[in-house]
This record gives sequence, structure tokens and C-alpha cells, in this order.
Amino acid sequence: MTAPFLVGVALLVAGPALGTAVLATFDWDLIGAPRFVGLGNARDLLEDQVFRRALANSLSFVAVAVPARLVVASGLAMLLHRPARGAGVARGAALVPSVMPDAAYAVLWLWLLNPLFGPVNLVLGAAGLPTPAWLTQPGPSRWAVVIMSLFVIGDGFLLALAARRAVPAGLHELAAGQGATPWAAFRRVTLPIMAPALLLMVCRDTVASFQATFVPALLVTDGGPPPYATTYLPLYIYRQAFEYLRYGKAAAATLVVLAITAAAVWLQFRAVDGLRRGGLLARVLD
Amino acid sequence: MVAGDAAELAAYRQVVAGFEAVQTEVAVRLIEVADRDELTARLSAALAGGAPPDLFLMSYRSYGQFAARGALAPLQPYLDRAGGLEANGFYPQPMAAFAEGVVQTCLPQNASSLVVYYNADLFTAAGLESPARGWRWRDMVGAAAALTRDVDGDGMVDTYGLGVEPALIRLAPFVWSAGGELVDDETEPTRLALGSVPAATAVQSFLDLRVIAGVVPTDEEAEAIDIETRFVDGSLAMLMESRRVVPTLRAIEGFEWDVAPLPVHERAATVLHADAYCLTAAAAHPEQAWAFLEFALGPEGQAIAASTGRTVPSLRSVATSEAFLDPAAAPSRSQVFLDNIEIARAVPHIATWPEIEDAMDGLLEEAFYEPGGAEAVELIAALDGVTAPIFERGSQS
Repeated sequence: MTAPFLVGVALLVAGPALGTAVLATFDWDLIGAPRFVGLGNARDLLEDQVFRRALANSLSFVAVAVPARLVVASGLAMLLHRPARGAGVARGAALVPSVMPDAAYAVLWLWLLNPLFGPVNLVLGAAGLPTPAWLTQPGPSRWAVVIMSLFVIGDGFLLALAARRAVPAGLHELAAGQGATPWAAFRRVTLPIMAPALLLMVCRDTVASFQATFVPALLVTDGGPPPYATTYLPLYIYRQAFEYLRYGKAAAATLVVLAITAAAVWLQFRAVDGLRRGGLLARVLD
Repeated sequence: MVAGDAAELAAYRQVVAGFEAVQTEVAVRLIEVADRDELTARLSAALAGGAPPDLFLMSYRSYGQFAARGALAPLQPYLDRAGGLEANGFYPQPMAAFAEGVVQTCLPQNASSLVVYYNADLFTAAGLESPARGWRWRDMVGAAAALTRDVDGDGMVDTYGLGVEPALIRLAPFVWSAGGELVDDETEPTRLALGSVPAATAVQSFLDLRVIAGVVPTDEEAEAIDIETRFVDGSLAMLMESRRVVPTLRAIEGFEWDVAPLPVHERAATVLHADAYCLTAAAAHPEQAWAFLEFALGPEGQAIAASTGRTVPSLRSVATSEAFLDPAAAPSRSQVFLDNIEIARAVPHIATWPEIEDAMDGLLEEAFYEPGGAEAVELIAALDGVTAPIFERGSQS
């Protein structure tokens, strides 16, 4: 039964990954003859200031965006899980950004974040709040990419919604009967039952977030403002490969993304394991 | 495979339609992409996949990385055939930009250069003379300052005097005009040469346009409304651009506009903007591709392209004809482009040039908009540091 899946994984995941690993040891433009350089591309990456900047940008994006996206997706699930007037429309609205074409979504944000005429700054200005230079200053530009990602939480929202609906209503009634406050019921009943789904979301989102910056960085901020404020690893890899024809170096950078992603997921599993051993998740996970 | 905005792509479609109208044996499939970067990406992916387009149209600033790697089939053998296109029918400057020694690799489709478009009504209203050949850098800055105005007194500038991108391709002609050089060796460059006094002076003058002179839009203003749109809506008096923008500017109805050569530091100079048709070495239909080139680069095809306003023909006979110098079509001073060809210089020919330009443009933009103004000496040192390894890699290609 698992044979088709394994064949698919071998052809679409393991094969390309192996090919990338081999390519990372060559200096090759895919036009002329490849030249074996061993760890030359890795050394080149270490010396490349732009790569280091892209790596730092990607790590900081993941560190900020993943928790923020988790809070937004699970928060919306808490608010919208009950049948109520307008809840269906709200649930649909939460999904819309996720089904929009990436390019259209990016162009929409170019307008929203226009420094002088964009609705975001017009609203902030009208409220007497600071109006950040979203597309021309490094800090606000990085926040802009994070904010853009907060609306594309459709799959996480659905997962959290399903997990919330799986919580038996009787448990909340029992907790209420014992005098538990809503916050206590959430912390001691809802959250532990949803925890496995939320942990799955975190792992999945960590993997996805290392790649999710590509379109906004390419179309909205163009990797800038200078110097390389929003050049994340996917954009760096794209430019090395397709604009500068340095496929070997791009492959080496791709392996770095793969290694960091694997390490991040491994650390999360270790953390979960630690929590389990400490008994914090025992009621749910055992 | 071609890249460009809507007006540019429309021009290429017209050329293809013209070709298909005069013969029925060869069908052309035009592959359109958005910009230079996407063209490079699509082309390299197609080359890697073993199925490249027969022809592609690319700037001389980008084609070197493909030429150096043997991805192109030289067009010299086709040019040497009797009849058809003749090399001496083209302007030599764009031809040289696409040649490897005596071998013509690609054939230029246009021979544009950097110029100054100006809003004639704003100049007249301010009592200023229109810019003319020989005008000086200080004349331009003075005019731009006079034309930079807060019309309604709200503390915000409503009309800026000048719009120019902070990019190497805009800065280069002024370095040459001041008597400086971009690189140490024009034919085999190994690093930048902006440290000379003339070059540094030109760089500083360029940087001063924003913060010191205040005649160009701020970073935020340019991001909110780009300089081309500002010129079209009448809120920018002068725009430094190539011929590329003419189809867009021809839609202007509210004011008169025209074109002038670049202002001068010490000697007249401008930078070549030229694209050429290149034949890929793995082309499946080289003879049919050449048949298309004979039309597209011949009098008929170049006249069609010129009629769109987008191109300065690379073929002398068409460039000097009414197809380009049409007195009924703006700009009335299109002769400026033809005069420029004589003085137009190409940026260096090195396989890693696109990477060098990208690295330089980022630093240049940062310095251009730096609050309080930037020092040219510091910028030049930074540019040299970041580009030195890229030059080294390029010289090994």
C-alpha cells in the first residue's frame, strides 16, 4: 500500500535532494561543463556577506512569523468555531488570502503599503499613530513581510478549527460546573486537547516559513531596501541560480536551508519530548 | 524570447506580425517576459533544459554571461553571406557592444542612449531656456532647483526638478563626462576605477542631487509614485531615461515635452542602451531564425519597431528616415538620439557584469537617499570592496 507513496517520495523528494547535494560540490552554470569544487561552494557561502544577511533575515522571520501565525490561526479558530450569525462568512474571509494567487496578493500589498497613499498609513496617520516607511526602511520592510504572512493562515486556521471542534462540549460544561473560569477552562481543557494539532502546525509552519518569503521579497520589496534588508534565503538562492547562473552555489545554499529546517523541527520534537517527560503534556499526549 | 513593458511587447508583436504577413513558411512563437531578470531566469532555465528559444533579445549588459559560456551561435557566418543584412549598414557602436573581437555574436536591434526628457511648459512658465546640447551639469542642477516647488505652500514639494534612478547605468555617463573611468581596463576589467578625482567628483555631484540640492524626489516619494509616472502627470520637470519611455510619454496630452542630451561636466558623454537578437547555439531552427532576423533587422522590420516610438533603429538608413525622425510624432528633437550614438559608450564587457551592477546599485541607492548626505569617497571604497571578488570571478570566466 505504501509503495506508490515511497516511489513518489523517492522521485520527487529524495532524488532531487540527492541531486542538489551533488550539484553543491560543482561550479556549474548548466550551460558549460561542470567543475568539481568539493566544499568550495560552502566556503564561498561562508565568505559571502549577502548570504549571511539572507540567513539572518530568514531566521529572524521564522522566529517572529511562526509564533505570530500560530496565535492568529488558533485565535481565529477560537473565535469562529461556534455556529453563529456571520461566522461562516468570517471563516470564508479568513481563507481568502490563502487561495489568492501569490502575485495578486503581492500587488495588493504594494498598494496597501504605499508610503504616502497606502490605506495602511492613511489609517495610522488618521489615528495619530506613526506611519512607518514600509518599503523604504529596513526595519519596517521586514515587519511588512511578517504582516503579509499573517493573513495567509488558511490551512493552519482549518487545522486549528478542526482541533477546536474536536474538544467535547461536555468537558467545558463539567469544568464550568466545578467553578472554572473561562480562562482556566481554556488553559486546562481546550489547550491541552488542541496541543497535538498546534504542535503539528508549528512544525509545518516552520518548514513553510523558510520558503514563504520568496514572492513578497521578489515582488513587494525586491530584496531591499538596501542593503539586502529583505533578501531572504529563497530569494538569494533564486538570484544565484537563475540570474547569476551559479547553480552550484545555489544548491549549497539550498542544503543550508534544508539543514536548518531539519534542525528546527528536531529541536521542536525535543522540546515536546521534554514537556512530555516533565508531565506538562501528559494528560493529552499519553 | 523578449522582455519589456506593455508598449515594448506591443512593438515586438507588430514586428512578428509584419514578418508573418510577408511570408507563410515560418511561424514565429513570441515568448514574452516581464523584465531583464525574468528573461535571464527563463533563458538560463531553458538552456539548462536543453530546449532554448531560437532567438532572444537581450541588452549588451546581460548577454555577456551567455556569450562567455558558449551558449550563443555567432551571427557572423550568416552576416558573411552574400545579400541580406550588411554589417556596415548598422551603427558601429551597438555592433561593437555585441562582438567578440572581429566576430559578430549578436545583431543590435536598437541603439538608444541616456537622455533628458523635459516638460517644456514648466520650463517656459519658469522663464527658463530649454536644455540644449552643451549645457552644463550646473545648468541642470540650477534649472532643477528653480523647478522644484511647493506650489500650494503646504510644506510638501509638489513639483520636482529632476527624476533619476540611483543606479550605475545612470551614473556612468557623468563619470566619463568628468574625465573619469568606471573600471581599470575597458577590455579586461579587474576592478573599479572610481577613485580618481574626476570620477569621485562626478559621483559626489550625483549623490548631492537628493540631499544637498533636494531636486529629486525622496525615497518614499519615489516609492509612492515612480519618477516616470511623475513626469507623465506633470509633477516632474526633467526625467533621465533612455528611448524606452517614449511610447508612454506619447500619451501625454496636458503639456508639451521634448528631449535633450545629457548635461556635461567636462566633455559630452552618454551611455549606450542597446539590445540585440542573439541566436542560441542549441537553436532548433537556425535558418528560420535568420530569416526572421533579416526581416526584423532589415528596413521594414526596423521601421515597424521605430514607428512604435520604443526604439532608436540600429540600421542607419531607418534611423535617418522619417520612420524614426517623424516630425509629426513627439519628441520633435529625436535627432538627439542619433547625435548621441557618436559619443555613446558601453559599460564594460564581462560575464559577471549583471551581478556587479546589482551589487553597486544597492549601495548607490542607499547612499543616494542617506539622511544628511553621503560621502563619495566612502561609497567608492564600499563599491570597490563589494565588487572586487565579482570582477575576479568574471575575469576567470
